[in-house]
Amino acid sequence: MAGALTERDFVQKLERAGFVEIEVLERTPMGIDDCALYPLFTKELLAIMRDVIPAERLDRIGVCAIIRARRA
Amino acid sequence: MSRDLLHQDEIRAFVREAYRSVDSESRAVAEKLYSPEELDGVPAIALDHALGVGNHLLHARIEPGDTVLDLGCGSGIDSILASRRTGPSGRVIALDFLPEMLERTAAAADEAGLDNVDVLEGEMEAIPLPDDSVDCLISNGVVNLSPRKARVLAECARVLRRDGELCVADLTVEEQELPPEVLTHPAAWAG
Repeated sequence: MAGALTERDFVQKLERAGFVEIEVLERTPMGIDDCALYPLFTKELLAIMRDVIPAERLDRIGVCAIIRARRA
Repeated sequence: MSRDLLHQDEIRAFVREAYRSVDSESRAVAEKLYSPEELDGVPAIALDHALGVGNHLLHARIEPGDTVLDLGCGSGIDSILASRRTGPSGRVIALDFLPEMLERTAAAADEAGLDNVDVLEGEMEAIPLPDDSVDCLISNGVVNLSPRKARVLAECARVLRRDGELCVADLTVEEQELPPEVLTHPAAWAG
């Protein structure tokens, strides 16, 4: 999650790489409870996230975007 | 600024170690993302270690006979599902940087009776495939793991044939950055 781009940056990088017809087809919020499903999120990290991320953001820490694009 | 708090090599090492050392099951991830119909017949070894973030295959336009690259295949659940759609006349190239993941994918494909899934060890920043060799590229929760995302996407464009499609599910963040305590935690670069 620390390496995630904003959707805008992701789309810009796709454009620069030579992709066209870029569509964001789904956006699904990912909250702290979703993160907890993944063993990659350690208990320590989850505790830090609960501690330092504002409560109003905990149900939308990130967004899973599904993006389709065509190579020009 | 905060995205530069860690060096690329550190990030790569964190990610590699985190994925290598995953030892608990994550079948709940598979059950959240995919329908029971999709998961029917997918071997447990793939389901139990699912680490994707979405179901991009609902939108991927995979045709029979296609060559599909699954970038960062993990335990192989998407490779298995994609191979059903390419059929025996097509193939899925399951790429991952960890031999442990490739072993799971190969075992899952074997158990599912699919002989059109080929595993390939390699880095997404230097995909070991020729130019214009892939019809469709899929990836699930992987691009965000790279410290060189522009390079990854350039590699995706290089291996795709003209008019080939990329369909990815990936984690994005909103404009407001995560707190530095999260950004500098090693596990946050893998999770």
